Amino acid sequence: MISPDPGSFRDPASRVVLDGERIVRLLDERGLEGWRALAGTDFFKSAVSEGRLIAAVEIDPPLGSAGALEHPRLPLISYPYEWTYSMLKDAALLQLDLLEGALNAGLTIKDSTPYNIQFVEGRPVFIDIGSFEAYRQGEPWIGYRQFTRQFLFPLMMRAWVGVPFQTWLRGDLEGLTPAQMARILGGKKRFNSGALLHVRLQARMEARMSGRAVREDLRTAGFTPELILANVRKLRALVTSLDWEHGKDGWSDYGSCDHVSRDRDAKSEFLRSAIGRVGPDRVLDLGANDGHFSTIAAEAGAQAIALDSDEAVLDDLYRRSAGLSLSVVLTDLGNPSPAQGWAGMERSGIIERARPDLVIAYGLIHHLIYAASIPPREVLRWLRGFGTPVVVEFVSPADEMVAKLVGNKLPHELHGGREEGEFRALLGDFFEIRSERKLQSDTRVLFDLDPR
Amino acid sequence: MIFGYLDAGSGSLLLQALIGGLAGIGVAYKAMRMKYGRRGRVEPDAVEGEVDTAEDTALSTES
Repeated sequence: MISPDPGSFRDPASRVVLDGERIVRLLDERGLEGWRALAGTDFFKSAVSEGRLIAAVEIDPPLGSAGALEHPRLPLISYPYEWTYSMLKDAALLQLDLLEGALNAGLTIKDSTPYNIQFVEGRPVFIDIGSFEAYRQGEPWIGYRQFTRQFLFPLMMRAWVGVPFQTWLRGDLEGLTPAQMARILGGKKRFNSGALLHVRLQARMEARMSGRAVREDLRTAGFTPELILANVRKLRALVTSLDWEHGKDGWSDYGSCDHVSRDRDAKSEFLRSAIGRVGPDRVLDLGANDGHFSTIAAEAGAQAIALDSDEAVLDDLYRRSAGLSLSVVLTDLGNPSPAQGWAGMERSGIIERARPDLVIAYGLIHHLIYAASIPPREVLRWLRGFGTPVVVEFVSPADEMVAKLVGNKLPHELHGGREEGEFRALLGDFFEIRSERKLQSDTRVLFDLDPR
Repeated sequence: MIFGYLDAGSGSLLLQALIGGLAGIGVAYKAMRMKYGRRGRVEPDAVEGEVDTAEDTALSTES
């Protein structure tokens, strides 16, 4: 049965639909013309063979479409507000490289949104074949403004101001306007040519030119693709120069904690045993931290999804993940990415997209219980909601980490169900215990659970 | 003429020509002359939006 992808509707020339497990792109006459212009170029063939552009095979179109393409299914769709700094930067450079290659091949890319880029085995891949079309003489780069709003300004915000871009991109799917970015910069980078041109001058010109069409005037005035190429080269140098130096804040040093190094081998062995029992295609690692357990799942042949709220550790993991069947997702489990956008469906929630066969919840639930104040019963109900086996690490109130998480909270301000006996009783309401193992510390127990 | 589905922003389109270097400045000047006549300026009553004073000062040499 064919169902439209709720996130693919803005471009009337090209629309993605799901045909069971198949990913199909439907094209109208203009979309087909763009595809034919792209498919015949060496640029397309080399970009696909290098893994920078998604593969596409022309198939018989259904009634009502001029053309149709089939794409390989990707392991996970993630959104820019779930990416780390290095992921957005790599995606920005890919966008610029492909635009330059397209222009040199007589083509252009008509938009510039990071939603057209996904990550496969730790590398960015451009997925919107429908964005390519033949370059029309005199046309400026239509996607320039979008590039600055959704790629450049978020990177500037992190690199120059130290503010994470993800919250903003999640709040406004169109990104930052030039005027907003100018205000965020304030007096910073006053003499930087990139800030002056792309932020301050664009903000001013946008305000001055609002509602006045100039596209045809530029064409008549002799606009050339060389002007776009010059802009692309300057933008590439600017993006390359932007850097985010993250320190050892957050959970960057988690791997060196006593309990982590002490229990790591036992937890790895327990996980391998659960993977052997379940045989999952997809493993969701909640609170993945440095990705040690996600990597075990990936090396066991599963597609691993490493989810965490700490950008620094995930950024390091992303940079080490080339060639691994491992996807990095930055989100806070206390407030995971929701379904949003047009009709509340354009971008789906991360939990819906993950579709795991096995869930890992190592070193996680005590954070939800003690730091986020989620009742233990609700944590277990939520884990049961995945409908899959779950590997859980229980941490008793006597554990050294719990004392740190409790902080200034008094015992009566904490939810019940925290003691091991109470927790086991709650487990029985939602899961059947397949196996368990007490860790060396004696305050932690691993459970391999099947949903009840 | 074929229009894209994306709003490119007129100011952003014109800016691209300026970023392109000397040849681009000529293109931008010509386009502005075609649109607004010899002075190549938007009339004051056409100005929309708001940019703070600090930006206006910083950009006064660019516009």
